[in-house]
Amino acid sequence: MSRVVYDQTPIEFVEGDTLAVAALRNGRHPARGGTLCLAGDCGNCVAIVDGVPWVRTCQTAARPGTVVRRHPSAGHPSPGGPESHAHVAVRHRRADHVVIGNGVGGAAAAAQERAAGPDVLVLDAGDGNEVIGIFDGPTVVVRTADGIDQLHAHHITLATGAAEIHPVCPGNMLAGIYTPKAATALRNAGVDLGRVVTVGAELALLVATADGDRVAAVELADGTRRDCDSVIVELGSSPRDVLARMAPMVPVSVVGSASTPHALPAAPTVGIVCPCGKITVEDLDRVWQKGFCELELVKRASLTGVGTCQGGVCMPHLRAFVADRAGTEPQPFTARPAARQLTLGEAAAGYHIDTFRRTPLHAEHVALGATLDRFGGWFRPWHYGDPVAEYWAVREAVSLGDVSTLGKMIVSGPDVIEMLERLYPNNVHDIKVGRARYVINLNERGHILDDGMILRDDDNRFTLTFTSGGASTAEMWVRDWIETWGLRVHVLDRTVSHAAINVTGPLAAELLGRAGVADGERPGFLQHRRLTVAGVPCHVMRLSFTGEASFELHHQIDRSVELWQALMHLGAPLGIKPHGLQALFGLRCEKGHIIVGQDTELDSSPRRVNMDWAVKFDKPAFIGRDALLRTAPLPDRRRLFGFTMPGPAPLEGSVIRVGGEVVGHVTSSWDSPLLGHAVLLGWQKRVPHVDVVEIDGREARVSRVPFYDAQGQRARA
Amino acid sequence: MTRRANVHAPELACVPLVGWRIVADPSVLDHVRWPKGSMAVRISPDDVFLIGAAEPSVTADAHAIVTPEHGFAGIDLSAAEVIAIAEQHIEWELPSQLPALAQGQVAGVPAKLVRHADGSALLLVACAASNELVDRLNR
Repeated sequence: MSRVVYDQTPIEFVEGDTLAVAALRNGRHPARGGTLCLAGDCGNCVAIVDGVPWVRTCQTAARPGTVVRRHPSAGHPSPGGPESHAHVAVRHRRADHVVIGNGVGGAAAAAQERAAGPDVLVLDAGDGNEVIGIFDGPTVVVRTADGIDQLHAHHITLATGAAEIHPVCPGNMLAGIYTPKAATALRNAGVDLGRVVTVGAELALLVATADGDRVAAVELADGTRRDCDSVIVELGSSPRDVLARMAPMVPVSVVGSASTPHALPAAPTVGIVCPCGKITVEDLDRVWQKGFCELELVKRASLTGVGTCQGGVCMPHLRAFVADRAGTEPQPFTARPAARQLTLGEAAAGYHIDTFRRTPLHAEHVALGATLDRFGGWFRPWHYGDPVAEYWAVREAVSLGDVSTLGKMIVSGPDVIEMLERLYPNNVHDIKVGRARYVINLNERGHILDDGMILRDDDNRFTLTFTSGGASTAEMWVRDWIETWGLRVHVLDRTVSHAAINVTGPLAAELLGRAGVADGERPGFLQHRRLTVAGVPCHVMRLSFTGEASFELHHQIDRSVELWQALMHLGAPLGIKPHGLQALFGLRCEKGHIIVGQDTELDSSPRRVNMDWAVKFDKPAFIGRDALLRTAPLPDRRRLFGFTMPGPAPLEGSVIRVGGEVVGHVTSSWDSPLLGHAVLLGWQKRVPHVDVVEIDGREARVSRVPFYDAQGQRARA
Repeated sequence: MTRRANVHAPELACVPLVGWRIVADPSVLDHVRWPKGSMAVRISPDDVFLIGAAEPSVTADAHAIVTPEHGFAGIDLSAAEVIAIAEQHIEWELPSQLPALAQGQVAGVPAKLVRHADGSALLLVACAASNELVDRLNR
């Protein structure tokens, strides 16, 4: 005979035993008590198997050396060790028809479907295919010995039979109580049950042995007492249809006993209704008296039905309880996946976290020692070790920034001007070829969605840029409006096809000169031109987010590394350094440039962020115009302000108070090395707006924005 | 404990592709004859990724956007590799009529599967996500 280890004691088992049967063969309850069904319906046999808790031992074959530990008598087992977290592979399979259950009903359904010709797959836990959930799709998720299968099926038939009803009475958590089928299975396996008493609805009380663990006798409703070692309780059955109640949008054909309405048992009067949560009839009464008088409410208020068995044991009794109190029989409650306990590895099988993209300069950043962070769907350099030094390189020399993540789009067509005029709140028709303009995007409510640039390439062709975070939805947004308006405009998203390097700082022009761009070739402020820089064809855009002269070099991604390395080499005598996001955010904060999504909120209008200048109401139509006109006369308490205060700069998100009352929060914060104090952006959402506020218990003063180079002379230099 | 061996494909090479991107009126693209030996991937009715050809001319649409395209990388897959990858990494159903273009997530990464008549395929992915895709397929 082979042996398994049960609670640190080796016990023998017979070939074909499950762990539960092996335990019972050796005189042990597989868990700590409760009626056993040995059919996977209840949670009364769960234990820790080879380190994984909540395993149904009645569904797990005994194998030599398997280590089983009972759950603790109080509380829950720990989530499990590495066995619970281990990666589990997923396999996608397809079938026209899936039949769940291989009993009489399932076999008949499968035969019928096969006769009709389609590809039929039969799943049964006994064959190693344990269905743990049905999801929309429809997708049937199956636990197998090899991992998780996701079955994508067109039709699903449920033939899972019926579950035997467990007794609810005092003593129903003792060992030695079986359903009829469980008792038959044990007898067939040669397990000695001792003196057996079979009872039905007349059962009133289960009497414990002296040690309090096992059943010693039964008492019937008429007061009769019968001594025994084991009790078989026969109370009928209820449909095993939890999988059919799981995905309301998925049509599931239920056949056989699983589809048959079964009579409810008598309403429970005393005892544990929910063995998983040890919830008693008294507990149900308590929530009922508090007004939770529907099945779903009783379930949620008492947590009956949310445990291991997911209602497999308690549902008939819970329905009987509600039917008795309410006078009408409630339908079973909705079930939700998973119908079985899963390890974390199983739950995560086939799941992928979002993709974070890498710019073509990723390896360059790594080689330069950058600390990379996930930002706007990309891996981006947060800093290269010394963000303050990076800041000074921008303010006093020259620096490179990887802005490949910016949204980039080409639009072209006979209706492109009309489209852009409707899309943006500022004028587009008067942008000359070779010129660029800052723009904001509004939604129909006049709230800011994004911002970027419009660059005119020729009469009917433009390049649009968007923020890195907004790029992923920009194409959808633009296409949607073009389709809505029925305009003839072609759209091509270039976000992942073009890289961009921002050359910024007072020596940026000199660096471009060293890279082969003659003085007369460089575009002026808010101009753009196609030039060759260090041998690489670039679309050079003269913009500024940092507050210094800046040239964005947009180019094909396969030339990025070459261009970056050439610029770093040529710029070395000029003190060039790359800068990361940390320095960039500080630089733009000094200029008061907002970051959409950080400094704005979902309902931020241009007025609230002091950007009315970016809206031209003399245009006949643009998205958000009607809403802005309607709200313009209304008072608006919310306003984004600039603040200054002595350092250190408070954390972004810090509360802004006036007289102890909360009026807003800090959206951007930076200890300005150049100005020698902290500069902030933040909201005041109460009137009257005041000039002095309190942040972190310190005084901060409203300040004019921009904090640095108010005339913009350096950006234009 | 990985309970099922993954399709392990360290030999799969994801290489950057060079081609042309053509966005034009769908009815115009319907009638363009692409050069022999090239592969035209019709990403959407108005959008083609053309591989293995010189700069195409789409004169019938004066506003067509024709531009070099370096943003994609590709993985050549045998028919068996397609089936194996689909089993582990593709939730959607592969097209049964070949050749065909299918688009969706592969191992959670947006991708395009250009299946040839013999069942082999070119798996297209944005260069920016190619490392992630290869990592996931080899994990």
